[in-house]
Amino acid sequence: MNGRSIATSAMLYTVTAATLVFIAAPLLVTMSLSVSDTQFVSFPPRGFTLAWYGKVLRDPDFQSALSFSLWLASFATFGALVLGLPAAFALVRFPVPGGAAIRSLLLSPLIFPVLVTGLGLLQLFSMLGWGSVPVNLLIAHILVTSPYVVRTVSASLMLADITLEEAARTLGASRWRTFRRVTLPQIAPGVAAGGLFAFMVSFDNYPVSMWLADAQNDPMPMFIYRKATGVFDPSVATVSTLLIGLAIVVVLILDRLVGLRRAMGM
Amino acid sequence: MQSVRSTTETMTVTATVFSPASSAVRATQGPPLLSRGQLAGILLLLPAAGFLLAFFLVPALTLFAYSVLTQRADGVVTLPLTVSHFQHFFGTSLYTHVLFSTLRMAAVTAAIAALLGYPVALVMVRSNAMVMRIMTIVVIAPLIVSVVVRTYGWELLLANTRTGVVNWVLLSLGIIHQPIRILYTETAVIIGSLHVFFPMMVLPLASALSKINPQLEDAARTLGAPSWRVFWRVSLPLSLPGLAVGFTLVFSLTASSYVTPAILGGTGAQMLGNLIEQQIAAVYDWPFGATVALVLVATVIGINLASTWFFERRNRL
Repeated sequence: MNGRSIATSAMLYTVTAATLVFIAAPLLVTMSLSVSDTQFVSFPPRGFTLAWYGKVLRDPDFQSALSFSLWLASFATFGALVLGLPAAFALVRFPVPGGAAIRSLLLSPLIFPVLVTGLGLLQLFSMLGWGSVPVNLLIAHILVTSPYVVRTVSASLMLADITLEEAARTLGASRWRTFRRVTLPQIAPGVAAGGLFAFMVSFDNYPVSMWLADAQNDPMPMFIYRKATGVFDPSVATVSTLLIGLAIVVVLILDRLVGLRRAMGM
Repeated sequence: MQSVRSTTETMTVTATVFSPASSAVRATQGPPLLSRGQLAGILLLLPAAGFLLAFFLVPALTLFAYSVLTQRADGVVTLPLTVSHFQHFFGTSLYTHVLFSTLRMAAVTAAIAALLGYPVALVMVRSNAMVMRIMTIVVIAPLIVSVVVRTYGWELLLANTRTGVVNWVLLSLGIIHQPIRILYTETAVIIGSLHVFFPMMVLPLASALSKINPQLEDAARTLGAPSWRVFWRVSLPLSLPGLAVGFTLVFSLTASSYVTPAILGGTGAQMLGNLIEQQIAAVYDWPFGATVALVLVATVIGINLASTWFFERRNRL
């Protein structure tokens, strides 16, 4: 290696290291302030206290936002799997006419502005007079999460060994039995990853919920948004830290299941 | 990846399904029109496609129709047809200002993401499996953290007072003597958006870079090219598809964001999303809100089509 190459790689690694610090910084600052023994958030943190955790965990608004979001994300994931699993299977394994166009339709909520998706639904629900907020939110969340299931499950199906399925069919197994006994075991990690991803997308969603939620049905991101813009004590950092912890656990599980890049469909 | 992948798939799938030969055979043989496999596939797709049609496509089109309709005094949106909302949007400097700052912030964010994304992606694909795995976790983990939480973190970092982290550090180091103003500017929104969407640049770049045959880079190096030149003449041109996907994703997602400009931009750096929210939630002007929404969607679809078009043209050459 000549001097210039060494300088180039040194620069490469410095920029990379700086970027990784940039990625971690807001999360680390939030975590450090969540234990700060001060009345208002201010940097640097002073002292150490877990009092904010006690306060947040006992807060009935936090509890109801958490349980509502867990309910919403669970059912949205279930709905996304019910719709997305057969759709991904059909798109990868069956010669569907116009399959490419249908695939584009199913994945289009991924690039369509989520805010506009939510606004369209608000308008539809008010036109139809559908007043049940939890049901409306559930429909909206299934809509924004199902593309993630389709994408991750499609990627798993493309990697699954199709000759095994053909062998099962040749040996007389029905399509359903082949799917259940041969295909499903192969794609199970992909399905789990897609479901987990869908769960987090629903759990974190703000731009759809902001149109459809109300005071009685208050998802977690709405709760934190209100706190972040109107409360100035460290409890906001505490709620944030709890959610960062949840995200880290989910990321490690996703990485175990299929590898993170495949879970992202990239 | 998805836009590049879907275009190639579009071509192969349409080629196999709609090839003239197979339809000619079908026509001479008469029924069945659909094979059993096709029928089963359609039945499996029906629930998802129907759901998307009813709750995504129809509402979106209805919303866009609102942009050329008139809202009566009692709030009902109805005929006559009008282009006055578009005239209002493009004729008011306040609104065109928001449009241009949205485009500017999205473009700058995507450009910086590309500049920082290349070193990170290069280090990622050249490292051993363990380092690559850890880097992937660090890069992707924030993506699973709610945008609201991450933006709050940036609010703490960029606060304009002495207790904002950046200001505190700069003051402590004696670089500045008065707190500087970062929060509620376009810079703050760009920093926040960069953080939120950076993985969308790194992943396609890493994927494109890892597909390059390492022998090409080795050959260039053996022939005496310095590393920056190997990158400039070999790695960069061959990874352009990944760059295009990343740029398109970061640009579209930044232009469509709401939470980041609402918290970090305040009234100083608004985006189209904030304008839509104001028009609907505060002014109750549905046709105008729909007009802004259509402008936003047209921007996003425009950049996606441009990137697809660019690569189809390149592939043909």
